[in-house]
Amino acid sequence: MLTHARDTAAPARTVVVGCRGFVGSAVLAHLGALGWPVEGVSSADVDLTAEGAGAALASRLREHDAVVFVSALTPDKGKDAATLERNVRMARHVAEALVQRPVAQLVYIGSDAVYDAAANPVRESSCASPSSLHGAMHLAREVMIAGACRAAGVPLVLLRPSLLFGPGDTHNGYGPNRYVRTALAGGTITLFGEGEEQRDHVFIEDIARAVAEVLGRGSAGVLNVATGTSSSFRAAAEIAVELAGGGAAVAGSPRQNPITHRHFDTAAAQAAFPGFAWTSLREGLERMVAHESGNAVSA
Amino acid sequence: MIGFLGMSHLGLVSAAGAAAKGFDVLAFDEDAERVDRLRAGELPVVEPGLGELLADVCGRLTFSADAERLAGCELLYIAVDVPTAPDDTSDPAPVERLLRLAAGVAAPYACVVVLSQVEPGFTRAFGELVERDGRTLCYQVETLIFGRALQRALEPERFIVGCADPAAPLPAPLRAHLGAYGCPLLPMRYESAELSKIAINAFLVSTISTTNTLAELCESIGARWDEIAPALRLDARIGPAAYLTPGLGIGGSNLSRDLATIDRLARGNGTDAGLVGTWRAHAAHRVDWPLGVLHAQLLSRVSTPRVALWGLSYKENTQSTRNSPGVRLAQILAPAGIGVTAYDPEAEPVPCPAAAFRRVADSLEACADADALVIATPWPAFREADPAAVAAALRGRLVVDPYGVLDADGCCAAGLSQARLGAPLPETHLC
Repeated sequence: MLTHARDTAAPARTVVVGCRGFVGSAVLAHLGALGWPVEGVSSADVDLTAEGAGAALASRLREHDAVVFVSALTPDKGKDAATLERNVRMARHVAEALVQRPVAQLVYIGSDAVYDAAANPVRESSCASPSSLHGAMHLAREVMIAGACRAAGVPLVLLRPSLLFGPGDTHNGYGPNRYVRTALAGGTITLFGEGEEQRDHVFIEDIARAVAEVLGRGSAGVLNVATGTSSSFRAAAEIAVELAGGGAAVAGSPRQNPITHRHFDTAAAQAAFPGFAWTSLREGLERMVAHESGNAVSA
Repeated sequence: MIGFLGMSHLGLVSAAGAAAKGFDVLAFDEDAERVDRLRAGELPVVEPGLGELLADVCGRLTFSADAERLAGCELLYIAVDVPTAPDDTSDPAPVERLLRLAAGVAAPYACVVVLSQVEPGFTRAFGELVERDGRTLCYQVETLIFGRALQRALEPERFIVGCADPAAPLPAPLRAHLGAYGCPLLPMRYESAELSKIAINAFLVSTISTTNTLAELCESIGARWDEIAPALRLDARIGPAAYLTPGLGIGGSNLSRDLATIDRLARGNGTDAGLVGTWRAHAAHRVDWPLGVLHAQLLSRVSTPRVALWGLSYKENTQSTRNSPGVRLAQILAPAGIGVTAYDPEAEPVPCPAAAFRRVADSLEACADADALVIATPWPAFREADPAAVAAALRGRLVVDPYGVLDADGCCAAGLSQARLGAPLPETHLC
């Protein structure tokens, strides 16, 4: 689903819009580590929800820039229509900026929430039929950004990551991040039901590397960011407890919702980047535990 | 005298088959150079046994580029292969051209038969042009299978014939020809016959897709499809000849073309063809099975991997590389800088401009210093390969062998890790 414009080469400059978030900061750090010219734009620099933000962002862009648009109000900041409206407004301003100042490439980091919850396995060609406002928001933003890119002649990559985890996550939502913190604190990880649901957990540095791949190749198209291996929440919790030293516990709870699984067919990613190696859930949790333990010591 | 117009795969095989049944045959092609080459015994296609059969029947089969000679035929077959575009649409222009040519030269009371595959509605549209001076126009379903075409031509299961009036007797020359094969004859309306061909292929795809889906499940749950398939073949509702061998999606162009045709006809007529979309998506998914195995076991683990590739044709006993899994794999790996050394005994030249792609003339030479061998086409010659020799040539131990071409016990003995469709993958496979 991706086409490449060139052999790997660093873009003239990459601008990461939303550089202070969990994903944006990882992308900024990785591109910097590669030695690629990179510039971060945060909400402190340009408030994308404010009127006039499109022109403000455009003034920061150059013709040969690649732009990574990752700024969004995440579900922990609100799952309501008002949050949806603010997120859509942010995308509208980015779209305005692209039309005013066309760039060399745009990479939009959205979410696999755009897909139908029943899709199995999920592929890039799966029906985008979101069941949440969060998913609808990303789909609406994709359509808006795609329209602007078409109008401005800007190659576009839509990345749709599965569940992300790793150091630097501030959301502490249900999943590996919270499990590690709970396990290190010696507490009890409470699962929804028995944690049977299987999900494809993606380590944060892997999406940063994926962004570098599409930037380097000047790619265009749609790509899911998923490892191709799904694990249950219980498995993740038990690994976290084991890695934390075994003092914590894992407990189930009465199930409120039917069990749903999500698997990905990652053939498109393999075809686009045949040598790309994913971080396994265990390896990622090991890195997470090391990071959180270090934080605990330094604190 | 029976005339066959269009000396590509279908025309050659059909003409040879008719001659083998004792009929005098005029094998016509507009291309005089092609006719000269055929007279010299140079075949434009690979088809086991075809050269020998043509030599056997040379006393009854005449190649010619002279259209006037077709006037001496009482039965004329339009038998040119129909080209298919990359989007799986077919181009009927060669059929139309030969049909007009036949209409211009055929004798009164001759029978003209469209043998080339055409879409529903095609034949009836030419009725007025052809059916003059007592001539008749029919459509006959071809069931050519690349690599098994002679057997299909000489021992057909039945003949399906589309007619303007299925209740009327078949034209005498056609009845005499088809009667020589001793199989059931099914006259029907043009449109029914034209759709029959597509229906046959749709049912084949249905079985292929079901097989591939269940074979994939086998790989995950510890079952083996090669243990299950024999049980299914003994079920009378499924049958001994059912397509129960797992494959890499749908190869070639004919099945894909017919699915595209069903999809288009259904959209135009408000019929729900979602099932066809599912088949096509699943075929696209399975064609990348070797890539998935390679990625999991080699590409994500080794920094500069090299891959040996046996098989570039889309299936054995053909030169065609259309929709070939091997070519697709090479065109993914080589541009990414992954070395691919390929061998195929017959496949046509493959467009792969990447410097990392190389084609060699020897199967073991392809294996030299490679980390893995992928056998993408089950050529009979590959079954003769000695796993020990393969193991000696390879640097790595992985053999991605979707069809189980190499002997499993021999692979085990040679220390090779053999991944095949429908069986647990090597990491969990106990050999």
